[in-house]
Amino acid sequence: MTSLKRSFASDSSAPNLSNKVYVRSTKSGKVQKIVRELYLRQDIPCSSNLCSKCAQIAPTDYNNKVAPFVLSDTPAGTKAFPNGHYLVPDTNAFLTGMDLFEVETAFYDVIVLQIVLEEVKNRSLPLYHRLINLTKNEDKRFFVFFNEFRLETYVARDHGESINDRNDKAVRKAVQWYGEHLQEAVRARGKSLRCPSIVMISDDKENLRKAKAEKVPALSLSEYVSGLKDADLLLDMISAGREQRENKSGKGELFYPEYFSLSKMLTGVKAGTMHQGIFNVSPYNYLEGTVHVPAFDKSLLVLGRENSNRAVSGDVVVVEVLPKDQWKAPSTKIIEEETLNKNDNADAEDGETIVSERERRALQEEVKRVHGQSVEGRPQPTARVVGIIKRNWRQYVGHVDKDSVRSSSKSSRSQQTVFLVPMDKRIPKIRVRTRQAGELLGKRVLVTIDSWDRDSRYPVGHFVRSLGELESKGAETEALLLEFDVQYRPFPKTVLDCLPAEGHDWKVPKSLEDPGWKGRKDLRDLLVCSIDPPGCVDIDDALHARPLPNGNFEVGVHIADVSHFVKPNNAMDKEASMRGTTVYLVDKRIDMLPMLLGTDLCSLKPYVERYAFSVLWEITPEAEIISSQFTKSVIRSREAFSYEQAQIRIDDKSQNDDLTTGMRTLLLLSKKLRQQRMDAGALNLASPEVKVQTESETSDPVDVQTKKLLDTNSLVEEFMLLANISVAGKIYEAFPQTALLRRHAAPPKTNFEELGNQLKVKRGMEIRTESSKALADSLDTCVDAKEPFFNTLVRIMATRCMMSAEYFCSGTQAYPEFRHYGLASEIYTHFTSPIRRYADLEAHRQLAAAIDYEQLDPSLHSKAKLEAVCKNINVRHRNAQMAGRASIEYYVGQALKGRIIEEEGFVMKIFSNGFVVFVPRFGIESLIRLRDLGTPEPESEFDSENYVLNVTGSRNVKVELFQKVKVRISDEQEKSTGKRKIRLALL
Amino acid sequence: MAPVQSQVLLSPAELSYLHSSLSLNPPIRPDGRSPTQFRPLIAESDILPGANGSARVCFADGTEAIVGVKVEVEKSQWQPTAGEHASRLSIAAGDIAMNDEEDESEDTSKNKGLGENSWVEMSIEIPGFRDDDSLPIFLSSMLTEALLASGELKDRLYINQRFHWKLFIDILLLSPPLSYPLPLLSLTTHLALLSARLPALKSEQDEDPLFDDDWDASIPLYPRSKSKSVTDIPPITLLVMTVGSNIIFDPSKEELSVAEAVLAISCAASPTTSGSVRLLSIRTIDPPPRLTPPGIPNSMNSATGGNAPVSSTDAIAQREALSLAGVWTPPRGGIKRGLIGRVLKMVAEKGGVAEEVLQALEKVEVDG
Repeated sequence: MTSLKRSFASDSSAPNLSNKVYVRSTKSGKVQKIVRELYLRQDIPCSSNLCSKCAQIAPTDYNNKVAPFVLSDTPAGTKAFPNGHYLVPDTNAFLTGMDLFEVETAFYDVIVLQIVLEEVKNRSLPLYHRLINLTKNEDKRFFVFFNEFRLETYVARDHGESINDRNDKAVRKAVQWYGEHLQEAVRARGKSLRCPSIVMISDDKENLRKAKAEKVPALSLSEYVSGLKDADLLLDMISAGREQRENKSGKGELFYPEYFSLSKMLTGVKAGTMHQGIFNVSPYNYLEGTVHVPAFDKSLLVLGRENSNRAVSGDVVVVEVLPKDQWKAPSTKIIEEETLNKNDNADAEDGETIVSERERRALQEEVKRVHGQSVEGRPQPTARVVGIIKRNWRQYVGHVDKDSVRSSSKSSRSQQTVFLVPMDKRIPKIRVRTRQAGELLGKRVLVTIDSWDRDSRYPVGHFVRSLGELESKGAETEALLLEFDVQYRPFPKTVLDCLPAEGHDWKVPKSLEDPGWKGRKDLRDLLVCSIDPPGCVDIDDALHARPLPNGNFEVGVHIADVSHFVKPNNAMDKEASMRGTTVYLVDKRIDMLPMLLGTDLCSLKPYVERYAFSVLWEITPEAEIISSQFTKSVIRSREAFSYEQAQIRIDDKSQNDDLTTGMRTLLLLSKKLRQQRMDAGALNLASPEVKVQTESETSDPVDVQTKKLLDTNSLVEEFMLLANISVAGKIYEAFPQTALLRRHAAPPKTNFEELGNQLKVKRGMEIRTESSKALADSLDTCVDAKEPFFNTLVRIMATRCMMSAEYFCSGTQAYPEFRHYGLASEIYTHFTSPIRRYADLEAHRQLAAAIDYEQLDPSLHSKAKLEAVCKNINVRHRNAQMAGRASIEYYVGQALKGRIIEEEGFVMKIFSNGFVVFVPRFGIESLIRLRDLGTPEPESEFDSENYVLNVTGSRNVKVELFQKVKVRISDEQEKSTGKRKIRLALL
Repeated sequence: MAPVQSQVLLSPAELSYLHSSLSLNPPIRPDGRSPTQFRPLIAESDILPGANGSARVCFADGTEAIVGVKVEVEKSQWQPTAGEHASRLSIAAGDIAMNDEEDESEDTSKNKGLGENSWVEMSIEIPGFRDDDSLPIFLSSMLTEALLASGELKDRLYINQRFHWKLFIDILLLSPPLSYPLPLLSLTTHLALLSARLPALKSEQDEDPLFDDDWDASIPLYPRSKSKSVTDIPPITLLVMTVGSNIIFDPSKEELSVAEAVLAISCAASPTTSGSVRLLSIRTIDPPPRLTPPGIPNSMNSATGGNAPVSSTDAIAQREALSLAGVWTPPRGGIKRGLIGRVLKMVAEKGGVAEEVLQALEKVEVDG
C-alpha cells in the first residue's frame, strides 16, 4: 500500500514544498484547523543594487518589468561597519523603536522580513501602518523581503520549538543568507566593491546570544544607535519599555489592579455583567471619567485613579458597574492635576502611592457632599475599569514640566526622567527619560506613550521630536494640527501626478465634440454668480435664478465638478479620502485637494468657463418645488461676490440688470424657504462665532469680532440646504443600500435634563424636547426682556446638549433614522462643497451614476467600504472643527496679549469651587476659581439645587447661574498646558 | 438487523465442507490462520492534514477504509435563565452543572457526567448503500455505543458550562463490503481517534472559549502518558464467530457464511489495572448462513430413493429429526452459555486477543 500521507520532511522529490498548520478562530466562534501549503521559490530577489544575479531571475510584472531594486549599492557605514551595512531588525526592534526608523538622519537600507512584518501587524496595527508607509517611502530604502517564501531562508519549526524561537531563527537565517548572498554577488561583479555587512537588530537577549553563537552580526537597538551621530537625540526616541521594566521588576509596588483576561472580558460583556465603551475624561476634573455604554441611559462615572486603572482618555475599555451604594453624582468641583500634584518627582518611584494624599482629600470631600445631599442626590452609576480592549494612544503634544527637571544646563547629557505635561488636560502627565532635558525646556515637544504598568503611577513614554519654542506661531500651529491628527504634509508626488497635465492652463474644451462635453449641458448663457465669504478662493458653489414664462422661476445651484478631476481609487482620491476635509485655521488652510484643483480648475471662478454639477428646480413664487433636475454642465460665472457686496448690490435700488433681479428673486425665495423650514421645526441654534482679524502681511492678530450675519448668508445657506436635500433623495432612490447620507439623531431626553432643570429653577422657563419643533418653539420662549443675549446663551447651551450629526451609509439605518433633527429634514446629505469635503465628492459620484452620466465605481457599491469612509470622515470632520476652534482660541489669546479689557459676561456653569463665565464679545469662556477671587481662598457655600454659590470670607459675593457679571479680561500663560490663555477676573 | 451482504456463492456441499473443517479441533480455516489470528493489515494514521485526526487501514482481502475526525465548538443546549446564569458564573460552576445533567445521562452518572451523548456524531459511508440503509446505521450505532460507553470521551469534549466540542467521525469504506466491515471500521476509527488533537484552550472556566492558535500546542483527544498507566484509549470492536465449540476471530466472508453465531465485542483498556482490557458491550449479529440454501439429504430426495416431503412444513419437520453429517443445514441460531463465557475470556483476559490487537495498533501510531 502506498502511503497517502504527504511527507514534508526530507522528501527530496519536493524540496520546494512545505506547509503551515495553525488554529483559526472565526468571529462566529468556530475553531478550525488550517493547513496551508507553502511553495518555496528561488526567484525572490534580494533587491540589492549590488546583485546582478537577482536582477535576472526576479519575476516580472504584467508589463514585463522587474520591480526596481531598493537597497543601495553604497549603503552608509558606521564605525563598526565601515563597509556599509544593511539592517535587518526583528519585531521587537520595530515595536520599541519605530520613531527611530522614521528619522531622516539614519536608518537607511533596511530589510523588513516578511515574518517581522507579520508579527508587527499582530502586535500593533498602528505601528504596522507606519512601517508600511516607511516601505513606500522611496528615500528610506526599506525593502520587504519575503523570507518565508524563499527556499533558502525558509526555516522549518523543530519539534517542541516555540513559535517565537522559530521566528527568531528565521530572522537569523535570513541575515545569514543575505550575508552569503551579497558576498557572492560582490565577488561575481569582480570589481573592488565593498561588501556591506548585514546587521541584525534585536532587543531579545536570547536571540542576540544565539546570533553570536552562529556568528551572525547582531546588535541591540541601543547599541546600534550609540554608534550613530546624534546618539543622544536618537536614544531618547527608543520606547521606554522593557529594559526599564526589567530593571524594576520585583521591587516595584503595584499601584493598580490587574486587568482581566480578554476572554473573561468578552464573556462578561456578552453576558451583560461588564460593559464596553470609550473612556472619556472630564475636561474640568481629571479624576473623573465617563464611559457611555448602551446598557445605561446616563454615562457611567469612573472616579479616581484606581478605578480608571490606567485608562487614558480615548481608550476602548471594559468596565464593571460598582455596587449601588457607591454610586455618586457627577462632580461639581474643578480638580486639576497641576494644582494637586505639583511636586511629584519624576524619578522617585518608591514613595509613590496611587492616590496622592491631596487627591484623596479632594475625592473624599466629593463623597461627603453626595452623602449629605438628602433630597434626590441624583446619583449616577459608577464603574471601574477592568480591562482595555484597545488603546487609542497617539502622539501627544506637550511641554516639559519645569519642576521635574533636575539639571537644566544645556550641556548636561546625563539621562534624567522628566514629566511631560500634555496640552490636552485629559491626558495624564507622561514620564519621559531624556538626555536633553535642558534643551527641551520651553519647547513644544511631541511624545508618545509606550506603556503604563501596574507599578507606575504615570504612563511612561518617549520623546519623538521637538516642534519649536512655546508660543511661536509655527510650533503652536503644528502642535494643533498634530493634536487633532490633521494630515498637513505636502501632497506626495503620486498625488500630484494625478492632476491634469495642462496645469493652470487647463480649459473647458472649445469643441462640443470633445469627450469632456459628453453628457454635459451648456449653461454658459445663464447669469450665474457666486456669493462667498470675502477672500474665498475655493469657490464650491454658484447660483442663478430666472423667471419662466409660466410665472414660476428656474433656480439653479451649480457645484464645482470635482469628481471630473478626481477619479475613484487613484492616489489623489485616496489621499482626499484620508484627509476627509479641508481644515481652516485662522491663518492657514490645510487643503483636502491640491491647490491647482481647489483654487483654480474646480473653483467656480468668475469670467471663466468651468465644469459644474448643476441642480435645477422649477419653483413657484410661493417657493413650492415643482420639479428638480440634475445634470453635469458647463457654466460661466458672471461675478464672485462677497456676502457684503452681494447685500449691497441687492439693496442698491438703482441696479436693475438681470443678474441683480435674479439675486433678488433668490433672496425672496430663500426667505420663504427658510420660513417653511422653521415651520417644519428646524432649529435655530447658536454657537459663539468670532472672527480674528489679522494683519495681512504677518498675519498677526489685530482684533476680534463676532461674525455678522447678513441676509445673503442665509440666501446661500437655504439653497445649499435645498440642493443637499434634493440630491439626498435622488441618490437614496437610486442606491437604497449604499447612498452616502448625513443624519442628525434626536438628542436623548436625558441630555436636556440639566439645562431644563436650570431654566426651571432660575427662570421658571420650560424646555420641551418631544420633537425638534417643540424644542424650537420652547427655545423661542426663553427670552429675558431685559437681556437680549439671554436667548442666545440658552441656544448655545442647548447646542451643547445635541448629538453631533454624522455621515452614514443608507443601508446601515432604517429610514426613520435618516432624519436630520436640526434641519428637520427627512433625508439629507452633503453635496455642495466637494472641494473641501470628501463626503460631497462621494455624493457627486453617486449622483452622476444615478443620472446615468457614468458608471458607479465598485467601491461605492460596497456597504463595508462606504462605512469605513463614513467613519473616517466623521472623525476628520470633528477634528477639523476642533482644530479650527482651537486655532481661534489661540489667536484670540494672542490678540488680547498684554491688553486688559473689561467686558460683560454670563455665568454658564457653576461648580462648588468655581464657575464658568462666557464673554460673548470674544466668544470665549473661562473658568474663575474661588482661589482667584481673593487670598486666602474664600469660603463658599454651594447650593446645587438652586445653582447658587455664596462666597464669604476674603470676598463676599453671590454668584448664580445665568447671572450677568462684569469681568476683567487679561491673558496669562497657563502653566499646565503652556498655552497663552484668557484669564478672567470677577469685578 | 440482518446485515445485508452480497450472497456467497457456495453450494450446500461446499458449505458443509467448510463447516466441518471449521468444526475440527483445532479448526482448519480456509486461509490457514489460527483461530485467533487476524488477517494481515496495513495501517497509517494522520493522513488528512485538514482533519483533527485521521487514519486509513487496508485489509489483505482488499477492503480499505478511511476515517476522519473533526471537532467543532458548539454552544451547549442547556441554557440557564439570565439571572440564574449570572449567579452561576460567580459560584464554582462544576458541581451544580453535574447535578443538572445527571438525569439526562443516567448510564454515565458514576463519572463526572458533564458530557452528553449527542456530542459525538458518526456517519458511515459504504459504497452501494444509502445512508439510511440498515447496515451503515447499525454499524454506526454499534461503534458509537462503544465510544460513549466509558463516558470519558464525552467528558473530555466538555469545555465549560456553555460550550463543548462536537466530535464528528466520518467513516468511509473505500472498497465494496467484501466481508463484514465492522472490524475494519472499528480499527480505523480507533486509529483516527488516537491521532486526533483538540486545540489548546486558553480561556478559563465559563468564559467564551479562546484557543491557542499554535497547532503544536494542541492536546490529544486521548491523552497518553509516557508511563502508560492512566490511559483511556478508544475502544475496538472485534468480530467473533463460533462453529461448534470453536471460537474463530476475524472471520472472512466465507467463514462467516457457515457461522453458527456471530458476536461483536467492544472493549477498551481498563482504567484500573494497566494492560488488562474491559468489556464494553456484546452484540449478537444475525449469522448470514440463515439465508443459505440447505442441502437435501438422500432420505428426502426422490431421485436417490427417498421420499420428498409433501409440504414445506413437512420438510422442516423432517429436517429437525435428521442429524446427518455431511449435509448442509443452516444453523438454527443460538449460542451456548459456556461458549459465551469462553469467548469473553479469550477476548478480555490478560494477554488475550483484545490486548494483542490494541498493542499492535498502538505501534501504528508511534511509527506513523
